Amino acid sequence: MVMKAKDYRAQLEPVWCTGCGDYGVLKGLTQAFADLELRPENLGVISGIGCSSRLAGYTRSYSFNSIHGRALPIATGLKLARPELTVVVVGGDGDGFSIGLGHIPHAIRRNVKITYAVLDNGLYGLTKGQASPTTEQDFKRDRGLAGVEERPLNPLLLVLSSGCGFVARSHAGNLPHLRQMFREAMKYPGFAFVHVLAGCVTYQTPSYAEEIYRRCDLLPETYDASNFAHAVEAARGERFALGVLYRRPEGEAPAVLPAALAGEGGVWPPTPEAADLPPGDAG
Amino acid sequence: MSTESIRPIAARAGAAAPAEPAAQAQAAASGQPAAPTTPAATESLVLALVGSGGDGVALLGDLVLRMAAQQGLYGIMVQSYGPQIRGGESAAILRLAREEVHYEGEHADVLLCFRVSDLRRFLGSVRVHAGSLMILEASDLAELPAWLGKSEQATYRYPFATIVDGAEVEGDPKNMLGLALLTRALGWSSSLARRALEQKFGKRPAVLQRNLAAFDRAWRAKDVPALPLLQGHGVPLHIESGNEAVARGAIEAGLRFFAGYPITPSSEILETVIDELPPVGGTVVQAEDEIAALGMVLGASFGGVPAMTATSGPGLSLMTEMMGLSSMAEVPAVIVDCQRAGPATGMPSRTEQSDLFHALYAGHGDFPRAVLGVFDSVHARDVMNKAFHIAESYQLPVLVLSDAYIAQRREIRDAPVDNRGKPRRRVWSAEHGPARFKLTGDHPTTPFRVPGTPGGTYLAAGIEHTAEGHPTADTTVHQEMNAKRFRKVAAIAEETKDWYRTLGREGAPRGIIAWGSQHGMLREWVAAHPEYRAFLPEILSPFPVRGLEEWRRGLEWTCVAELSYQGQLHRYLSGLTDMSGVKSIARSGGVPMTLSELEALLNSAGAQ
Repeated sequence: MVMKAKDYRAQLEPVWCTGCGDYGVLKGLTQAFADLELRPENLGVISGIGCSSRLAGYTRSYSFNSIHGRALPIATGLKLARPELTVVVVGGDGDGFSIGLGHIPHAIRRNVKITYAVLDNGLYGLTKGQASPTTEQDFKRDRGLAGVEERPLNPLLLVLSSGCGFVARSHAGNLPHLRQMFREAMKYPGFAFVHVLAGCVTYQTPSYAEEIYRRCDLLPETYDASNFAHAVEAARGERFALGVLYRRPEGEAPAVLPAALAGEGGVWPPTPEAADLPPGDAG
Repeated sequence: MSTESIRPIAARAGAAAPAEPAAQAQAAASGQPAAPTTPAATESLVLALVGSGGDGVALLGDLVLRMAAQQGLYGIMVQSYGPQIRGGESAAILRLAREEVHYEGEHADVLLCFRVSDLRRFLGSVRVHAGSLMILEASDLAELPAWLGKSEQATYRYPFATIVDGAEVEGDPKNMLGLALLTRALGWSSSLARRALEQKFGKRPAVLQRNLAAFDRAWRAKDVPALPLLQGHGVPLHIESGNEAVARGAIEAGLRFFAGYPITPSSEILETVIDELPPVGGTVVQAEDEIAALGMVLGASFGGVPAMTATSGPGLSLMTEMMGLSSMAEVPAVIVDCQRAGPATGMPSRTEQSDLFHALYAGHGDFPRAVLGVFDSVHARDVMNKAFHIAESYQLPVLVLSDAYIAQRREIRDAPVDNRGKPRRRVWSAEHGPARFKLTGDHPTTPFRVPGTPGGTYLAAGIEHTAEGHPTADTTVHQEMNAKRFRKVAAIAEETKDWYRTLGREGAPRGIIAWGSQHGMLREWVAAHPEYRAFLPEILSPFPVRGLEEWRRGLEWTCVAELSYQGQLHRYLSGLTDMSGVKSIARSGGVPMTLSELEALLNSAGAQ
């Protein structure tokens, strides 16, 4: 029997707001499952807590909607204990880059074959619009919440500097691209990171969502994803590069990153002060 | 319930009669060992070995323990160190006996000390009695501390240290002279010692040769005292630490996935599974923290694989949210907590029984769990089997409370036999119906769905869920699902109602309630004091209340003895049964409770 995307949907109806980007992600992910002809019983979809973490329960799979920030360890345990399963982690920017940040570099170091999709809307939706680690400083919200003083994290530089062998970015509004990114990620033999710009229809203005979309550029067809320096360059840009930024060639050791970045005056996170430090001393 | 038969064990050996007149004996470079006179036989001997880093006290203790095990003697060895990471003061206290022992005693029959000043650190842990044999460094005439006690026997002094121009230089290893003296004093053969060295250094021939040569030179020492004869049963026995027993018991019970984070005093569990789990097809991960460790365990167990982590108090604190997830999502997990003195960092290498409240109550929301306690390293293998049985059968978190005293000491025991049943999870198949969390029939649990099973896909969730596993905020469902999950506790309580141990004579008028590592000392207390009996739960939650109440019948005086400032067990029991009139003799941990301390505490609590 040929499986279609809808065959990977659980009975459960999503609770997301109308127009939420997460619907697109669910669609793109289930399409990729169908493309790879995966059996639902051999799928493990693990999530933490947040709007996007609800996605696990909407897939027909052995899914686990666990606790805030801890999806990666759970997925690691599942994949190591049951290597024949395809294991996918979905979650948001608060879940992954704030409370759960400590697990990301270690999941990458272990390089267990897991696809980790972060659905990044730049805020906490479930708790009604607070700033997240990726909220931009000039982001204006229409609710009476405190302003954002901290610089946002750059998730792609974070995972690249941790040695991630597969790094991609997509946008929830570009379904064919999403589908392709998930497919590529799940085919990668190690830990694969997919950053999905998802937006929030409730706590962001429509014009902000449009602005994010306008700032996206597909990587050119000539882009060489095996070149680490290019990936860092693409990840550092003001605009959002969409596509596979980095796919480490088979057999190649992870680049030694923090020092290399510091040598270029591009320590992570990028600050003007840090750029003035002598090479090799990232402070 | 198992009422242990009481094996009388002499609390201490009789006075060691030196074979030679007390003298400032010197080890000679040549000459034959003096033939020892025939000493009295004994049931048990306590040896205290004290020195500094580099003196090789730990190795000496290890070798003596190996020699004892080789000839069928039982024993226990407790080690203690100064605060330094490496080097510093070190003590090994060994008790060797003809019967199984789980308590090292409090008075050494032999004190072998390479440097008197090193004794300072072991106030309360090392004491001598009137008949103790003291073996000291010939060049160290420092006064012995008063708290050590007085031996009426002459002190033997040997030149352990090599002194050149008044300063100590590197010479023959002190512990090899110590090994030769102890072996001869015990009346054991030199080949036994040589074999222990070969076992220890078999893979390092240069080290072996150096030690063997030093041992042979030392064997010719003159004027060696003799100790009472302590003979083994002839059949070699097995040496195991509490942490090793926990790890091996878990593997025997079916453990196939372990994730942990290094922490004193539990790290040897991680180290043992690293060596011994992969060969049976299991996986071990050193996690980035304890939250991740239990997270990985839940992931593996969600995948249908029996899984466990081990930690100490600070790690258990971090795992608390995950414990609730394990219970809520009904994913089995075994969590071993080697308790140490807390709170916060506390005293990492020191024992305490103060994580009981945490194990029983920690976590937000109402959720069922089971809590077991370990008595000693022999018991540890049984307990781990029971822990996996409860976790796998009832799909909830099971905490196993060990402590620093059990975890790191080594015991000589009978060779372990793996004759316990293998814990099994009730596994789902299509005929069980579509709802993961719907109770049917008399089962206290719903069948577990193992990923890979066609048609069984479902959502496991920390969020409240319906019987189908769908997230819900319906208060009626919440009440029903709590009832569903807590139904397991009643079933566990019924199954485990006899999971306790009593010590002493039935009908004895005075009772001591205790748990965990107090067992070894209490076993000897009731043997020596027939007016006492003791009750120790093997399962702390659900507590075998009926068994306790039955045991209490006829008692005239009762107390709870524990190493917790708050008296956590006493307070806990006060919520389960009538504890009026039951005294609490509780103190902070640090060093384990000794027989004489117990006696003093009982007296001050008005035992009568």
